[in-house]
Amino acid sequence: MGEGIGEGGPLVRGTMGIVIILALLLASLPIIMTYSTLILTSFANTIVSSPWVKFRFTLENWRLFLEGKLAPTAGVVYTPEDILRFIVNTAIVAGGVTLVVLAASVTSAYAFSRMNFFMRSGMMRLLILLHAFPGVALIVGVYAIYVFLNSYIPRDYSVYYSFIFVIIARASLEIPMAIWILKGFFDRVPWELEWATIVDGGSRLTALRTAVLPLVKPGIAAVAIFAFLAGWEDLIYVLVFLPPHEKTLATYIESQLGSGTLETTYLPVVAAAGTLYLIPTIIFFVVTQRLLLETMSGGLKG
Amino acid sequence: MVEVRLEGVTKRFGRVTAVNNVNLTFGDGEFTALLGPSGSGKSTILYLVAGIYKPSKGRIYFGDRDVTDLMPNERNIGLVFQNYALYPHMTVYDNIAFPLKLRKTPPEVIRDKVLEVAKFLHIHELLDRYPAQLSGGQQQRVALARALVKEPEVLLLDEPLSNLDALLRIKIRSELKRIQKELGVTAIYVTHDQSEALAMADKVVVINRGVIQQEAPPDTIYNEPRNVFVASFIGSPPANIFPATMDYTEEPCINLPGGTRHCVEDEYASVLWRMKPSKVIVGFRPEHAEIVENPVDGRPVIVGEVYTVEPLGRENIVTVASEDIHLKVITPPEVRPEAGELVYVAVEKGKLMLFDPQTEVNLRYIAREWSQGG
Ligand SMILES: Nc1ncnc2c1ncn2[C@@H]1O[C@H](COP(=O)(O)OP(=O)(O)OP(=O)(O)O)[C@@H](O)[C@H]1O
Ligand SMILES: [Mg+2]
Repeated sequence: MGEGIGEGGPLVRGTMGIVIILALLLASLPIIMTYSTLILTSFANTIVSSPWVKFRFTLENWRLFLEGKLAPTAGVVYTPEDILRFIVNTAIVAGGVTLVVLAASVTSAYAFSRMNFFMRSGMMRLLILLHAFPGVALIVGVYAIYVFLNSYIPRDYSVYYSFIFVIIARASLEIPMAIWILKGFFDRVPWELEWATIVDGGSRLTALRTAVLPLVKPGIAAVAIFAFLAGWEDLIYVLVFLPPHEKTLATYIESQLGSGTLETTYLPVVAAAGTLYLIPTIIFFVVTQRLLLETMSGGLKG
Repeated sequence: MVEVRLEGVTKRFGRVTAVNNVNLTFGDGEFTALLGPSGSGKSTILYLVAGIYKPSKGRIYFGDRDVTDLMPNERNIGLVFQNYALYPHMTVYDNIAFPLKLRKTPPEVIRDKVLEVAKFLHIHELLDRYPAQLSGGQQQRVALARALVKEPEVLLLDEPLSNLDALLRIKIRSELKRIQKELGVTAIYVTHDQSEALAMADKVVVINRGVIQQEAPPDTIYNEPRNVFVASFIGSPPANIFPATMDYTEEPCINLPGGTRHCVEDEYASVLWRMKPSKVIVGFRPEHAEIVENPVDGRPVIVGEVYTVEPLGRENIVTVASEDIHLKVITPPEVRPEAGELVYVAVEKGKLMLFDPQTEVNLRYIAREWSQGG
């Protein structure tokens, strides 16, 4: 015992360490439990709601899910859902939102960081305000625009229009914050780097491409990930603007858990859907860790 | 290669006038130092020559070619930035090769040229590294290599040595000078370090608050500063400067601090007779004075009390207080008076400088302008 006291040594720190780990475990227990329930259930023949539930490992849920057979136990008549199509839809929306957000935010953040124009700082402040507006609150206005524009769209193109509309509408909610994040990254790139390129014979665009963009890559990646997740997870905009048969994973899961369907739904199949739905978030977690390390170690040298 | 000329160039940033009506010629193949305190407009002049900034007024010429409206990439210049501005995500090789790649030079030619300039600057063993893995001196040479590889007509250097330690600075200083002379390129070198400017340059341009103070060879800048600013900016320690009253009986005489008088006989006399200022600003360099026990011969002498003595090994800096003026004198190591001792500061013959109290211009220059103007 003696050796630990003098320096606040290994014994004391050891005990503290255990306490801290226990506290952290306790705090994250609810989250761990819900996620492990979800993921285990998707591979089990029953709902794994506690550590004492006995279950058998099976891929049956995943098969049923991917085949679109949702309520195998209820014995009701159903038409199989086109799950692959939902997955593709989700990817289209998420990917589309990412592209639109990137195109808009990289260019405007560059302008905000590098050019002096009328009302620049006022517009930067306006962006925060825009970001503060919840997307749900805007939906009435956005819907009005949707209807207005829809009257000019030929019927045959109506589905394409819905997708494009969802993508742009959802992206515009993400753009203000994305501009803010990216402007911070652009601000850290010294002017001289761009000037060096221009002096060396490049155009301003070359300078942006070869000298600036490689250095704001971590920012672009972060913004891309946020945008992708926003599109991937979006419920309301997809629900409102896509035709009812064009579901994404989010709206599909929602439809399975909605009122009146819960009794007929076989939850392990929905768990499989939920697990698939989680995958981008998990990838995001892994990628950001690498990204953060890269940002910290590969910083600019002045 | 080419001569660079600024004609009536002014640059404003909003309300700030960074460069004010500058007329300057940077001689063909000459090494010119732009010297001035922080914020004086040195970098701005460099960027104007580079074409990164457009002048608010005035024209810029490379030889006979008016380049005022040309983009930087149409001017064939090499620029070394104050912070080097190396591309952090490219290797040393790619950094140096970059200007050539932008010009669509064939790869074999790029290789040869990069290797050649890298050898020349002794960085050929660093070509695979990234800028962050280099020392300050190495980064500086990479930046220089990137500027030189495209064989520019004009080489612009913005305080390239400011981030280096004192020893390296002195070493690279002579190297840089050698390179510039070997290539015969017109070089403009920005610095706020006067010893750098005086040691390296063929011509020094002293600038303050965007206005040219003096444009002359290092010797002249040092020995005949054009005005009070140049005198008090150049030298370490800089020149002693203080006001004094005049009287004109038989000769123009200066009433020096401590109660002595010095009557002017040299080339200043005629100007003083003509202008008859009741006051002048007097200056002399610490190394042009000595501490004596008795006032002798006809040298200007100031009586004062020793205030502090700083021994520097090779020499001492003695501060003498006379009335409310503190004067610095550089003395040989063995001359080390006690603080509080009453001493005479004798200024070498012909080394006293007199400035007009209003314009602060050296009266010698006013005299010359008169004699030229007839
Ligand atoms: N892009 C700019 N926008 C606004 N003001 C500027 C800009 N560039 C320079 N200035 C101003 O112009 C003046 C001269 O600046 P400049 O950078 O030329 O000084 P400098 O002599 O190079 O100083 P230093 O030794 O600190 O580099 C300063 O007052 C500065 O604040
Ligand atoms: Mg500067």
